[in-house]
Amino acid sequence: MPKSQYIDPDKMRQAGEIKFTPIPVNQYKKSVKDELKEKNFTKEDLKRIYHDMVVIREFETMLNLVKTTGGYKGVEYNNPGPAHLSAGQEAAAVGMAYNLTIDDFIFGSHRSHGEILAKGLRAIELLSEDKLTEIMNGFWDGATVKVVEAGFKGSVKDLAKRFLVYGAMAEVFARVTGFNKGLGGSMHAFFTPFGIYPNNAIVGGSGDIAVGAALYKKVNRKPGIVVANIGDASMACGPVWEGLVFAAMDQFKTLWEGDMKGGLPIIINIMNNQYGMGGQTCGETMGYGQAARIGAGVNPEQMHAERVDGYNPLAVIDAYKRKMKVLEEKDGPVLLDVLTYRYSGHSPSDASSYRTKEEVEAWEAHDCIKGFAKQLIDGKVATQEELDQISSEVGDLIFDIFKLAIDEEKSPRMDLKKEPELIGTMMFSNESVDSLSDAKPDVNHPIEENFRVQQIAKKERFAFDKDGKLFSKMKQYQLRDGLFEAIIDRFYKDASLVAYGEENRDWGGAFAVYRGLTEALPYHRLFNSPISEASIVGTAIGYAMCGGRVIPEIMYCDFIGRCGDEIFNQVPKWQAMSGNVIKMPVVVRVSVGSKYGAQHSQDWTSLVAHIPGLKVVFPVTPYDAKGLMNSALQGTDPVIFFESQRIYDIGEQFHEGGVPEGYYEIPMGEPDIKRKGEDITILTIGATLYPALKAADILQEKYGMSAEIIDARSLVPFNYEKVIESVKKTGRILLASDANSRGSFLNEMARNITELAFDYLDAPAVVVGSRNWITPCYELEDAFFPQPDWFLDAIHEKILPLNGHVPTRNFTDGEQIRRAKEGV
Amino acid sequence: MNKTVTLWRTVFVNIKIKLHTNYFMATVIIMPKQGQSVESCIVSEFKKKKGDKVSKGDILFAYETDKASFEEESPVDGTVLDVFFGDGDEIPVLQNVMVIGQEGESTAEFNPNGGGGDVRVSEPEPVQPVKEEIAEVKIEDVKSTPQMQASGEKSVGISPRARALADKEAVSLSDVRGTGPKGRIIERDVKAVAESRPKMTPLAKEIAKETGSVPQAGTGLAGKVTGADVISKNPVYSGDFEMKPLTNMRKLIAKAMHASLQNSAQLTHHLSADARRILELRKKVKAAMDKGTGANITLNDMVCFAVIKALKKFPQVNAQLLGDSMKLFNKVHLALAVDTDRGLMVPVVKNADDLSIQGLSNQFKEIANACKKGSIDPDLLAADAASFTVSNLGNYGVEIFTPVINLPQVAILGVNTIVPRPKDLGDGVYGFVPHIGLSLTYDHRALDGGEATRFVKQVAIEIENLDFDI
Repeated sequence: MPKSQYIDPDKMRQAGEIKFTPIPVNQYKKSVKDELKEKNFTKEDLKRIYHDMVVIREFETMLNLVKTTGGYKGVEYNNPGPAHLSAGQEAAAVGMAYNLTIDDFIFGSHRSHGEILAKGLRAIELLSEDKLTEIMNGFWDGATVKVVEAGFKGSVKDLAKRFLVYGAMAEVFARVTGFNKGLGGSMHAFFTPFGIYPNNAIVGGSGDIAVGAALYKKVNRKPGIVVANIGDASMACGPVWEGLVFAAMDQFKTLWEGDMKGGLPIIINIMNNQYGMGGQTCGETMGYGQAARIGAGVNPEQMHAERVDGYNPLAVIDAYKRKMKVLEEKDGPVLLDVLTYRYSGHSPSDASSYRTKEEVEAWEAHDCIKGFAKQLIDGKVATQEELDQISSEVGDLIFDIFKLAIDEEKSPRMDLKKEPELIGTMMFSNESVDSLSDAKPDVNHPIEENFRVQQIAKKERFAFDKDGKLFSKMKQYQLRDGLFEAIIDRFYKDASLVAYGEENRDWGGAFAVYRGLTEALPYHRLFNSPISEASIVGTAIGYAMCGGRVIPEIMYCDFIGRCGDEIFNQVPKWQAMSGNVIKMPVVVRVSVGSKYGAQHSQDWTSLVAHIPGLKVVFPVTPYDAKGLMNSALQGTDPVIFFESQRIYDIGEQFHEGGVPEGYYEIPMGEPDIKRKGEDITILTIGATLYPALKAADILQEKYGMSAEIIDARSLVPFNYEKVIESVKKTGRILLASDANSRGSFLNEMARNITELAFDYLDAPAVVVGSRNWITPCYELEDAFFPQPDWFLDAIHEKILPLNGHVPTRNFTDGEQIRRAKEGV
Repeated sequence: MNKTVTLWRTVFVNIKIKLHTNYFMATVIIMPKQGQSVESCIVSEFKKKKGDKVSKGDILFAYETDKASFEEESPVDGTVLDVFFGDGDEIPVLQNVMVIGQEGESTAEFNPNGGGGDVRVSEPEPVQPVKEEIAEVKIEDVKSTPQMQASGEKSVGISPRARALADKEAVSLSDVRGTGPKGRIIERDVKAVAESRPKMTPLAKEIAKETGSVPQAGTGLAGKVTGADVISKNPVYSGDFEMKPLTNMRKLIAKAMHASLQNSAQLTHHLSADARRILELRKKVKAAMDKGTGANITLNDMVCFAVIKALKKFPQVNAQLLGDSMKLFNKVHLALAVDTDRGLMVPVVKNADDLSIQGLSNQFKEIANACKKGSIDPDLLAADAASFTVSNLGNYGVEIFTPVINLPQVAILGVNTIVPRPKDLGDGVYGFVPHIGLSLTYDHRALDGGEATRFVKQVAIEIENLDFDI
């Protein structure tokens, strides 16, 4: 909400109408002869286009035969993995890639073999032999190139071609020599040195991620554009729309300043094969008629959308030439509806029961390769014999590579018998990096001139005075100050760091963590996003994939559901799924609310802790908040960073000497003993630390029991040693958090503790969580979230009868069974 | 080192291993138990001090009982991480003395002084533990007033921690009332019992664990229960014995002999043979030996040689009974009972019927020595390795006995001492003639009385007509 933009009611209330400009549909009319006459292509260029299409066709044909007949050219092979084939779509892929350099990044879908090959072949054409050699030898220490190099006597470019086809094919067959060590497979293969970025098995998965890549290019002043190859069927996906809207934010052109002013360099390239699984996207499952229409609903430029005949490579090339100019002029984003058709079903198991044989045959009659061949012959670019020669050479190439890629010795799979923990070692990159950019960070003033920094300097960094009395809230250095210090410090260290989300700028974040950052940072490093969590997290993923550090913020953790795919399927998976090619320095800030009822007050740590590949932390003191945020921002792994809205204003009550002014890190995974004790261990996650301390006071005063209070601080990773040590001493443990108890991560911890310290336990590990209800209104929250007396009740009933204690909550076995029976 | 010490060494090692796997990486050196009645030892000198590097086999400390001096060797390589006592300290046996491990490892948990327990027996302590101060009354509410909560609750379980403590403190769980949720026995319940009884030395606890008995009062310092107190509750015997667990060997013998009598139908026939022939042979053997020729063929060798000859004629005796069938041997595999320090051993001489009497004699000497040294091949000790056994108690003057069959063999011959018996020398003249007694125990399941009698008679005949070149 920038004050600079006045919303004038007089203007806003004026009558008028919205005008659309006509959207071009298949307007390309030129022939090969025309293009040659205009010298847009040489004959060699045209023959190469033909060649590249044939490579894709043969690659896909091979896979189709392997899937449907169990072999290729008489060599048997069984490929149990997926194969979503793009035979029929070759002209769209080659046309898309024709104008791109290795600085231009493409992102793809589950059906992107053709795009990988097209972009890879184009990169090989453009790169020097030296550069190609360097790339090939540097990749997996030359392990991939070695397989195709043996006995090969051709040119470096031809070797690179073998390398490309092999790297992709070996990946499809899950070989360790594949582009992603076989961990990505058919639907996730990619090769960044050629500008090929991740393909995505989730329909529309690249719709927001690719926008983040464009954001990275813009903010970090990197050359090139980004192409998001997504299918027509993804146009109904929320995250794709969110990506479109994010890409078209007005602020790029209205509020971003200097060289940052202007639209994102991205082309949303709809590979429109007219089917989504078995549904017809036009005529059945959506209503846009032609996908190009969508651009008109996004921004006044209508995203420069047009429909292009994707059965003619020259039409696609023409469109790209024009649209790349639009991006150069900083008027993106662009949307292209590239019409095409797939001959095979969704996958080889699809019997195409949803379309007629006549329809498939009619498209085959229009076949893009045959059609282009006819043009080449008609235009006297090549003879039939020359084209046959190309086909024959490509056939030999694919067959040769096929035999190499299925050779168990030359192309082994990851040996998980020999190295059973190998994938485990790939889940996190665990690096420690000050800055992911060499550039000088863009900031508005020196850090010491920042008003918030100056304000914090006057605060008390420890909550208590010399006599043990609390300072006033205003005087205390608060938890939000700890977060702020870590974040602003990184903004001044790492030029690649950006932060965005809802109300991040001007307002300073809904909970005032970012207060002061608006003044310190230009728009392109801190901005407000649309209220669309999928785009916030999805773009952050693309931003990180390209090498930047980013803090997406989605306010309430209840909104994780709005970016479920991004948080559950994308952020956590890419480091391992890429074979560790990709790093994911994304720190997702979320907070646990209260007072706002059922959809704004849930502790969802357990949901994210369940997903392999995410680090999850939940600091609840200013010292821990600053130290853990520093660690999160120093690392290269995705961190879901939980904060509690109840305690943004809490001071540091534990760390002696208060929160250090300088930089320090708290390692993720280390719990912290907040209070020493002898008779029972209480392990908490999140703000429940504070009611636990109250409960400990009562235990001491009324029952002479001293409780040892441990704050988990992190959920993933987690070091149990300190907890086990404590339990060995006390023999008893109660675990508590604000998460509702069913399926709570506390149960995982309780199980581990029980297993690890069974012989030391004097009672079962007991979990106290919130009720398995909706969170009621603030006034009724005491009945929902764990209160200090709940701790005593649970101890009395399950661990150690407390002399004279009268429970107010029902922790009996019978009640436990009843609740489970009722599902509450 | 006598046998008792060896035995307790074994126990000691077991304890060490248990500690090792359960709690830590470092190795704890405890005061070994030297002899059954030793409660504590005095360290005469620590040879290694904290921080010293030690190798396996290095002497760690010298210590003594009232009877002897010993040295304790390091069982591992490492660094002395902690020493809990000083020269001249009297240390209860089985008490932690020092810790060896890698630098940086924690040792606090092994410190016997740190656990609040009584350690230095040289320092008497008051009967009432001082730590029960008024200021802690509230804590005691929680920790050790089980009776207040226990009314009417039936014990339904025991927490792992309580069980571990009961084991450590030698508290019998049947004495404990549970005060945890639903009457579960929890740590405080075991503690309450442990604290309500007299303090016990580590040895007393160890013995109490085995016997399950704890006396009301001890005879040690400040009423402490000592090992001796736990061993006997009977005032008549008081401390006039020592408890000695069976050796493995003893257990095996016990099992085999008991099984033999339970699982077969044994009875014994006694008969004697005129020993004049073998005595004469023995005299000749001795005379030859005096001249430096011939082997030392003993009476036992001669009897056994005769037995082998008899067995060749009675294959049903040279046999084993296996369920519903008899295993009849072609060769004679003769076992001989040998008395050793370790107990009874019955090694076998394979294919004894192939041997001359000298050969047999040599073989007997060899296996008997191997048994005494403990180097005997265990295969030769197996009961099913022999087809027949001879047990000779004649040397000890035994006149008659009923040997126990080594199953699955079907018989065993007991050889008795030689006694003069009146014998009809012909023509109404009676004289005293030396006779050697033969006691054949046989399994009536396998052999009938007639067969057995004919066999033992045949042995007598062979003895009476024995001949060999000296």
